[in-house]
Amino acid sequence: MAVDTMTASPALVDESVPVRYAKAGAVFAALGLFVLIVAFAVVGGDDTTLVRFDRTLTDAEWAMPTTVVMAILGALTAAAGAWMLAGVPKRRFKLVSAIAVTAFVFSLLIWAYSQPGTVFRAESILAGALFLSLPYLFGALSGVVCERSGVINIGIEGQFLMGAFTGVLVANITGNVYAGMVGAMVAGLLSTMLLALLATKYQVNQVVVGVILNLLALGFTSFMYDQLKKAEGLNSAFSIPTISWGPLADIPVIGPVLFNQKIFVYIGLVLVAVVWFLLYRTRWGLRTRAVGEHPAAADSMGVNVNRLRYWNVTLAGLISGFGGAWFTIANSLAFSKNMTAGLGFVALAVMIVGRWNPLGVLAGALIFGFTTQVARDLDASGGSVVPGEFLQMLPYAVTLVVVAGLIGKAKAPAADGVPYNPGDK
Amino acid sequence: MSTDTKTPTADEPEAGETPESKPNFMRLFGRYLTEANSVMVTIYSLLLAFLIGAILLIVSDEYTRSTFSYFFSRPQDAWYASRDLIVESYTALFEGAILNLSTLDRYAAGTAEFGDLLRPLSETLTYATPLIFTGLAVGLAFRAGLFNIGAQGQLIFGMMGALIIGFALDLPAVIHLPLAVIAGALAGAAFGAVPGVLKATTGAHEVISSIMLNNIAALFLVWAISTEFLHSETKTDLITKPVDESAVMPKLLSGLSESLRVNWALLIGIGAAVFTWWLLSRSTFGFRIRAVGFNEHASATAGMRIGSTYTTTMAVAGGLAGLAGAALSLGVGSAGITTNTALEYGFDGITVALLGRAKPGGIVAAALLFGALKAGALSAQPDVPVDISTLLQATIVLFIAAPALVKAILHLRTPRGGLVTLEAKGW
Repeated sequence: MAVDTMTASPALVDESVPVRYAKAGAVFAALGLFVLIVAFAVVGGDDTTLVRFDRTLTDAEWAMPTTVVMAILGALTAAAGAWMLAGVPKRRFKLVSAIAVTAFVFSLLIWAYSQPGTVFRAESILAGALFLSLPYLFGALSGVVCERSGVINIGIEGQFLMGAFTGVLVANITGNVYAGMVGAMVAGLLSTMLLALLATKYQVNQVVVGVILNLLALGFTSFMYDQLKKAEGLNSAFSIPTISWGPLADIPVIGPVLFNQKIFVYIGLVLVAVVWFLLYRTRWGLRTRAVGEHPAAADSMGVNVNRLRYWNVTLAGLISGFGGAWFTIANSLAFSKNMTAGLGFVALAVMIVGRWNPLGVLAGALIFGFTTQVARDLDASGGSVVPGEFLQMLPYAVTLVVVAGLIGKAKAPAADGVPYNPGDK
Repeated sequence: MSTDTKTPTADEPEAGETPESKPNFMRLFGRYLTEANSVMVTIYSLLLAFLIGAILLIVSDEYTRSTFSYFFSRPQDAWYASRDLIVESYTALFEGAILNLSTLDRYAAGTAEFGDLLRPLSETLTYATPLIFTGLAVGLAFRAGLFNIGAQGQLIFGMMGALIIGFALDLPAVIHLPLAVIAGALAGAAFGAVPGVLKATTGAHEVISSIMLNNIAALFLVWAISTEFLHSETKTDLITKPVDESAVMPKLLSGLSESLRVNWALLIGIGAAVFTWWLLSRSTFGFRIRAVGFNEHASATAGMRIGSTYTTTMAVAGGLAGLAGAALSLGVGSAGITTNTALEYGFDGITVALLGRAKPGGIVAAALLFGALKAGALSAQPDVPVDISTLLQATIVLFIAAPALVKAILHLRTPRGGLVTLEAKGW
């Protein structure tokens, strides 16, 4: 329990804080105990988990005793939970929960890969995780830019679809894959422009319109897909080269993960830094955050609230539209109906998990990308005890758990989703 | 925060005509037509949506597009091609949904049965039936200020619940059918309550949690169909066992023709709409729903339990969506359900509820319209892309949700009470 908050006047206290610690603590303690029970009761004493650095040190293989490692990680999770129950200083809470989550996830991994015939191909999986985290990253960054200024962008899914569709179409028409990427960005921009217009000028409910815009994008892209299918060569797959950084690519682990990827990875990572810098170190960022928290105050300081929101939301479309191009161009796929499969919504959850902060978003996206990659890898290896459908559920289930359990009371920007009418002051 | 919120707009309603202009019927009617009231916004939304659909049809059709390349030398080619395309496409939708004109000719000539004439209408009603339930599921939650995007998942669980009771038990039809329907409702209610509980206890936004549950339900269905318990014993593809004859929804018009698929679920749907109307406007629980939807803080101060209202509302909404699932697995899917049986009924429920403005009567009307669109689009494919129904639906509700946009496009007047829009809460 955070005792020091009790002395403040009740109206100012965030009463959820001690409750959340107790809940999170109980959850982690339970998860830790679960891991311990599995380690000793379910896993065989001689079971080992094989780890291989499959891209650089192809010969080396490392076997670890499953029970021992799982027990250590389970104890770590349970200890973190117990500490939270006993009372963690507020500023340590994030660190402790991060350690607990990581330990828990790794214990599950070690369990999953202890099946005979499965090998944890560390480098492929980590590189794949980074690549698979990109849609979450682009979508969530787009959400951050919108929501920090106070407009809820639930239409990321639709912007993805528009970007994915237009990217391939433009690439086919021009024959240039980079023109396709630009086309995807423009498509994203046009779809958020509609949201921006409705949210600022027409002051409509942003959640409702966002959902409708998703449906509209789904209907539009599916409709055009059927129509254009009749025409030859408008929806062929395009691929882009993998950029290899020469000798850097041969460094174990880091090389394959960071220095042998497609351009989307580098753009994504640079974008995190750029959005962070813009939000926290520039005048635009200060104004954006002010408008998202207290538009009336920002207005009285001379910021044109609705104009700033309009441009923020519109420009955020460039990011989510580019994220759409990931589905087709980065994966070397042609467009197919509803190919984004709800990832735009998961991106929204990533944004909440990342607490509307670009660095948090990066962490969240990586966790989700990692989960997705591991699920795919286990499913493909066939060594999994769990049916493939349940593995595919993982990102969604994790979203549900994270949104409900860990960050149930995550603080959105105060004016998020509230239309601002200068006449109402 | 309520369902019907008056959005004040900058321009005041016009201060009336000059004193000597007496209000006569035509003047009032003309005034009504040019005003952004909810009836006219609905009508204009429909017209605008069909106009946009027409433009997209023209733009995306290769032949018609080619006539525009020499528009300035022979504009009549482009005009005739566009006109023919639009007339053909929308006629095809109409024939699939309401009345097939060639069947009418054959009926007049005596070569077709009366039942054949009713087939498009029967299809419309068949597709409208699940939409009534899912529309009510979304609309009811709307009244409590909740945005229930999870109708698709609730429907899937309702489908499985009804299916399991439908084939696993051996009972006379009088008990079996109602029991299977109730099982569907309960399964949907249990699944629907989850986002309500999560919101009540942890504050997790229902939009995110119900979207996740939709995805989970869809994957769960794929897995469940492949299990030995549910999978068909005779077929190898992904299809479940059929429900017993005693649990199949009787067809309404089987006396006219066996091919008319509309069944008793339609009547249950209308019953559910009446029930929802009663619940919302005549019961204490409905009062609580509306109060919480209108102002949760005031309701809490008045002693209402907000959390339990969220949970119960979502459970009832889930039950309604579950009934849609029961209607499917005991009706059109009674020979066994596939991953495709649920179509997009749950998501379409959102558009139905928005078009029906979260009122039971409006929802039934909206379900009929979108059912007609769906039936029309399915019968008109591949000449008309089947997704035109989704496209038209989304465009219609976009305008419904943003009346200010319709008002601006058509330069309508602001009605006396302001514009009426639907609301759901932010994070």
